Amino acid sequence: MAAHPAAKVINTQEITDKARRDLLQLLEAVRGKKNLVLERSLAGTIGLFVKFSTLQEYGVDKVFFLENHNVDSSQRNVIFLLRGDNAKTVRTVAEQIKLVRSESKIDHEFSIIWIPRRTRVSDMVLEEHGVLGEATISELALYFVPLEQDLMSLELESSFSDLYLRKEPTSVFASATALMRLQKQYGLFPRILGKGDNAKRLADLLQRMRSEEDVNASSDPSKTYLTSFGLTPSSVVENLIIIDREVDFPTVLATQLTYQGLIDENFGISNNQIEVDTSVLGGAPAPPQQQTGTAQPPTAATKRKVPLDSSDKLYPSLRDANFATIGPTLNQTARRLQSDQQNIKQQDQSIADLRSFVSKLPSYQAEQASLKIHTGLAEEILKVTRSEVFSAMLEVQQNLLAGSDPSTVHENIEELIARDVPLKTVLRLLCLESCLSNGIRSRDLESFKRQILQAYGFQHILTLADLEKLGLLVPRESHRGYLNPIAGAAGQTATDWNAVRKSLTLWIDDVQETDPNDTAYVFSGYAPLSVRLVQCILQKSYLFGLVNTRQGNTPPTGGGWKGFEDTLTRIRGATVDVTQKGHDADASHARKTLRGSKEGPKVSVVFFLGGVTYAEIAALRFVSGQLEKSSWRRIVIGTTHVISGDRAVGAAVEKRKFVE
Amino acid sequence: MTSNNPRAGWEKIGDQFYQKVQLYESVFDADLELENYFVAGAPYGGALALWRDASKVARYRTGQSTKSTIDIYSSSGKLISNINWEKGPIKGLGWSDDEKLLVVTEDGIVHCYFGLHGDFQPFLLGHGAEEYGVVSCRFWSQGFVALLGNNTLIAVSSFDEPRPRVLAQPPEGEVHSWSLIPPAYTLSRSVEVLLAIDKTIYVVDASESEDRGLSDGPFKHISVSPNGRFAALYTEDGKVWVVGSDFQNKYSEYDSKAKTTPTQICWCGNDSVILAWEDEVHMVGPNGAAVKYYYDDQVHVVADIDGVRLITNEACEFLHKVPDPLEEIFKLGSTSAASVLVDSIELLEKKSPKADENIQRIKPNLPEAVETCIRAAGDEFNHNFQKQLLRAASFGKSVLDLYSSDEFVDMCEDLRVLNAVRDFRIGLFLSYEQYCRLTPERLIARLVNRRKYLLAIKLSDFLHLPSNKIYVHWASQKVRSSSGDDDAIRELVVERLRGKHGISFETIARAAYDEGRSHLATTLLNHEPRAGKQVPLLLNMEEDEIALNKAIESGDSDLVFFVLLQLKSKLPLATFLRTISEKPVAAALVESSARAQDQDLLKDLYYQDDRPVEGSNLLLEDAMHQPQVHAVMDKLKLAARLLTDAKDPTAIMHTRALTEATQLLKMQEAFDKEITDSSGSFLGLSINETMYRLIKSGYSKRAASVQSAFKVPEKSWWWVRLRALTAARLWGEVEEIAKSKKSPIGWEPFYNEVLGAGNTRLASSFIPKCTSLQPAERIEMWVKCGMIVKAGEEALKAKDLASLESLRDKANGQQHVEIERMLTQLRPKK
Repeated sequence: MAAHPAAKVINTQEITDKARRDLLQLLEAVRGKKNLVLERSLAGTIGLFVKFSTLQEYGVDKVFFLENHNVDSSQRNVIFLLRGDNAKTVRTVAEQIKLVRSESKIDHEFSIIWIPRRTRVSDMVLEEHGVLGEATISELALYFVPLEQDLMSLELESSFSDLYLRKEPTSVFASATALMRLQKQYGLFPRILGKGDNAKRLADLLQRMRSEEDVNASSDPSKTYLTSFGLTPSSVVENLIIIDREVDFPTVLATQLTYQGLIDENFGISNNQIEVDTSVLGGAPAPPQQQTGTAQPPTAATKRKVPLDSSDKLYPSLRDANFATIGPTLNQTARRLQSDQQNIKQQDQSIADLRSFVSKLPSYQAEQASLKIHTGLAEEILKVTRSEVFSAMLEVQQNLLAGSDPSTVHENIEELIARDVPLKTVLRLLCLESCLSNGIRSRDLESFKRQILQAYGFQHILTLADLEKLGLLVPRESHRGYLNPIAGAAGQTATDWNAVRKSLTLWIDDVQETDPNDTAYVFSGYAPLSVRLVQCILQKSYLFGLVNTRQGNTPPTGGGWKGFEDTLTRIRGATVDVTQKGHDADASHARKTLRGSKEGPKVSVVFFLGGVTYAEIAALRFVSGQLEKSSWRRIVIGTTHVISGDRAVGAAVEKRKFVE
Repeated sequence: MTSNNPRAGWEKIGDQFYQKVQLYESVFDADLELENYFVAGAPYGGALALWRDASKVARYRTGQSTKSTIDIYSSSGKLISNINWEKGPIKGLGWSDDEKLLVVTEDGIVHCYFGLHGDFQPFLLGHGAEEYGVVSCRFWSQGFVALLGNNTLIAVSSFDEPRPRVLAQPPEGEVHSWSLIPPAYTLSRSVEVLLAIDKTIYVVDASESEDRGLSDGPFKHISVSPNGRFAALYTEDGKVWVVGSDFQNKYSEYDSKAKTTPTQICWCGNDSVILAWEDEVHMVGPNGAAVKYYYDDQVHVVADIDGVRLITNEACEFLHKVPDPLEEIFKLGSTSAASVLVDSIELLEKKSPKADENIQRIKPNLPEAVETCIRAAGDEFNHNFQKQLLRAASFGKSVLDLYSSDEFVDMCEDLRVLNAVRDFRIGLFLSYEQYCRLTPERLIARLVNRRKYLLAIKLSDFLHLPSNKIYVHWASQKVRSSSGDDDAIRELVVERLRGKHGISFETIARAAYDEGRSHLATTLLNHEPRAGKQVPLLLNMEEDEIALNKAIESGDSDLVFFVLLQLKSKLPLATFLRTISEKPVAAALVESSARAQDQDLLKDLYYQDDRPVEGSNLLLEDAMHQPQVHAVMDKLKLAARLLTDAKDPTAIMHTRALTEATQLLKMQEAFDKEITDSSGSFLGLSINETMYRLIKSGYSKRAASVQSAFKVPEKSWWWVRLRALTAARLWGEVEEIAKSKKSPIGWEPFYNEVLGAGNTRLASSFIPKCTSLQPAERIEMWVKCGMIVKAGEEALKAKDLASLESLRDKANGQQHVEIERMLTQLRPKK
């Protein structure tokens, strides 16, 4: 796969390298062999940038999970590597330190590395437990972790429920800090655009941080020299587009139909990896060498970890395609490989031929291994997508997205409940309906709720209550909605989906799946609103052309949201549009001159607050590809984490049962 | 220092030149009896701390207070401050890189004085220091090691957050002398200690104590060179050995022939060792060559990275190896290009044509010569020679065609700075090398600590460094020392700092608050741009509400949480809940943290906010934690009771659901008693699952009773029955159902499910019932059951010739005949 030109501009590899360096340095600071205690959710994240074998080289003897409470005293040095935001985690650490100290005869050296920063609360809790003085405390400023060259994630698994269920601002602050770090490196985002109330909060926070940065920078002795003159607008980044997940729940709830999306829906991708039964892979050869080492102990024999990233031979070309096209592509590849093999066998071979063949052999073998894996996965997914339940579900979903009257699908949903399909599937459909039509009629909702409680158990009273808090499943109320004049300046509280569907062409009937011409291919018809919003800014004339097929109307020009203001007022949440200028015009001018006058590739950073789905990533890559062709611009995606419909409703679903 | 000889004070030891320069004269009062004092000097020509050794008899002088103090002087003998000391004997007195003074008492209390003016932070060494007592301490630039009475070693490697750690336990025995290798110079990157015990030396680090196996001890002194590569050992018989710090090689030996052990041994740079007695100093160069200096009275030696300061009452001198560029230029008979260049400057001043001749002669080496001159100027202390060298460099570069003057300009600037701070009124005498290591920023910080604000600001401007910290320090000092009324001070400070970039008002406000001027502090704090920074101080000042608001404003949830935790521990519960009730962010944080740890608080919160549904949900969660079914039911009852008065539809629905949940549990309990097969307990299943399990185990009647008790919709009921029966393969019952006239879910599902279970015969019986489907679909259904003939009949009925023909291909044997028959029947008769 060709390297993204954007990668040269915002170099995500640098972030990876720095994270690895920093971590290893911290590990090195503790002398001798050590045991490492990790939070379970961090293991995969760490695995993204450092191999377990490297950790071993740096003296890590055993790795424990904090959640297991099984830290032993086999090493004198014990290092905890944890996220510090959560008081509960801190408490667990304190308890474990006390436990190990009381049980062990050796005088242990404890170190705690907080990610991404040391918090006051952690200090306070440690002090309460009387262990603050016991441990050497350091921090690892790990914010963005690159998942791909054009995709950076904060890997904050809980940010969806934090933001929308518990209304906690933690992840907004983390995002702001991470974006601020980008600004420090690449210069200010010349323009910040965004949609949604949390997007507004994030943009405000960025502004505030910028003004505070001046004071901070000068009180930080190590950096004084570089930043004392204030930040100047970037010459490589064009703008930052913040999409608040709340603006576009339906896209999350809908079943993703790209290959990567479906893998995520069925196997759950976490940290670029999936775990599948070995039977699925159909005797694919043992883990290839390039497998990303993880900081996890080997898993049960029947499960295997499969890395899914651009190191794979075929995956990059497959992942963003609509699943319908995967079969043919795999077939082609298989045939090509076969013919290659035959060529080799048949030809009268000179030594030179042989040599060139041998040099190709590793890549050939890797390709074959990859083909085996993906055929296995695709077959497994096909089993699901061919099932009756899946098509019933998809029918409901596509009808809702296309804008048909929701009451026509009620019967189908009821049938799905009666057939005991997974709760999350049902909830996704109900939430989708609720989101698209601003609530479900209360009588219908009541009846659905009863059926869910009967079919899945009364513990889901809590699930339903949480879904309502999330705003995913709500009764329709007369005073809600877009006709409410009071909402006014603060931004809408609800989206007028029918109007928006028209004005942004969210549904395309004759979508092309094989050779896509519009982002709608990722959902076989539905074009995600979030991506359309990005297109409002970056592909004005294209989007304008979709809506106004008549000739004569001139597409809007100018930056920002220009030309789509009307539509934006019909979408819930505040609209953000801020232009950032440097303190010092001369300095920014100087920077421009230094960078050279020729226009390099410009980058738009699209940041999803509250998570992004693989389908949206695919759609944005598609947009990015078009932009690159037309104007040498690229999109780099940032997000709090990668989300799917199951994960979104899963934030609400009660997992316990009565009397277990 | 007006000597005209650039070689003044040069001394040749072996093949190297050493120079002793007098930095300042009449340093201390003549009646200050230096011999009775401990002297410790900060690195890089920093301040000197003097403490009178209480164990020595001192002459009583009138007018002198008997109070014990630690006195801090500059190198030029200017008193910077007196620190009162009434905490008993001092076992360790040392400085860190950033001029923090560390004072260690016998019982293991460490006072860390910062800012040179008596502000300090104490911390404890612990690890038995109290019990065994501190014997002595050794310092390095960022930390120190203390030796206890039982030979335990305690290391502290950071003063910002001191964490005393015990090093590996060395063996018992008298420690004759000891020293350390700073972490920056060890392989392990942690401090290593060299202990002379018995006849050998032990190297101790965090994990092990290793015997180096020497046999020529006991060593009375150990000293490690500044770069950590060499160690000097002083043997009992008066010999000095220089060895590698890994004790593999011995480099030189020197016999001092002294009867008494020197008071001090230290390194002068990295290639010579200083032995100091009360009034005598020997300097041992490489290969054991030595030179001796004699003094009239007590001399104290303060080691630095590239030389030593020799302190007597009369003078402060700097003894160091003559830097190479200077040696190259000024060495007698030097013929180097640089030397010629310097000479030609004199000739030029005399307008002698020889100047040009010289230049032409050294032209090939001129760039290097210029560079040497520039570097020599930096190393030279004498202004006149500095000028002369720079003039030479300037002359040299004017002859060169292409030459970047950056180095020259930088050196001129650096020299201006150095000369400014070397003034006796400031007394910061740094060599150029020390200045480079110290960095300009830290030099400015030293000036600020000495309250030389004007010079600090001027130098900052000169060096293009930010000056905000100087202003902040000045303002804090102003606030502390002035006695005017609050408003006047505030105006003065704010006026002076107006328009200055990046001022931290929080620091100034804290200074005001520490002085007890909280009004002033509050008003100053309003000028602080960073909301987050205001919070801790506001909390100290009991401005809780404002603190919380500011924390929320900062957007940092950690900060909000921090404030909330503080508030919660200090306010009564009701007040606390009232405080947060109007702040959604705060309330959300309290709620989510309480969910994890403090359910009671959450109950109170919901009660106070009148959110009965949430309260009831909390009890429902409780119910789920109960292992006993009756406890669960009790909790459910409680949860329902909370909702009795609530009228909104959600509450009503919840009440109903809760009652039903209890009812279901009761029924399940009964089933568990009645039905004892291997399928496990019914408790915890949902209604549908209960019915499913019952039907599957053959208790359809009971399942029906569940259906009617909970008014399960017909459709769901039928689906559950269908699924359960096919799963259990109870075909008899399925057939029974099939006799009904109508099914609320249609018959297609029956066909599908039964077929899915593999019973084609039964499945096919449903095909005729699917009347709403198209014939084509029904044909397909028949085919799936393998009944080609039936499918043919269906096609025949629908007069579908195409389907029939395609069926013919699938048919075999008898079927084929049948299909052919139908085809002929359907084909239009000829």
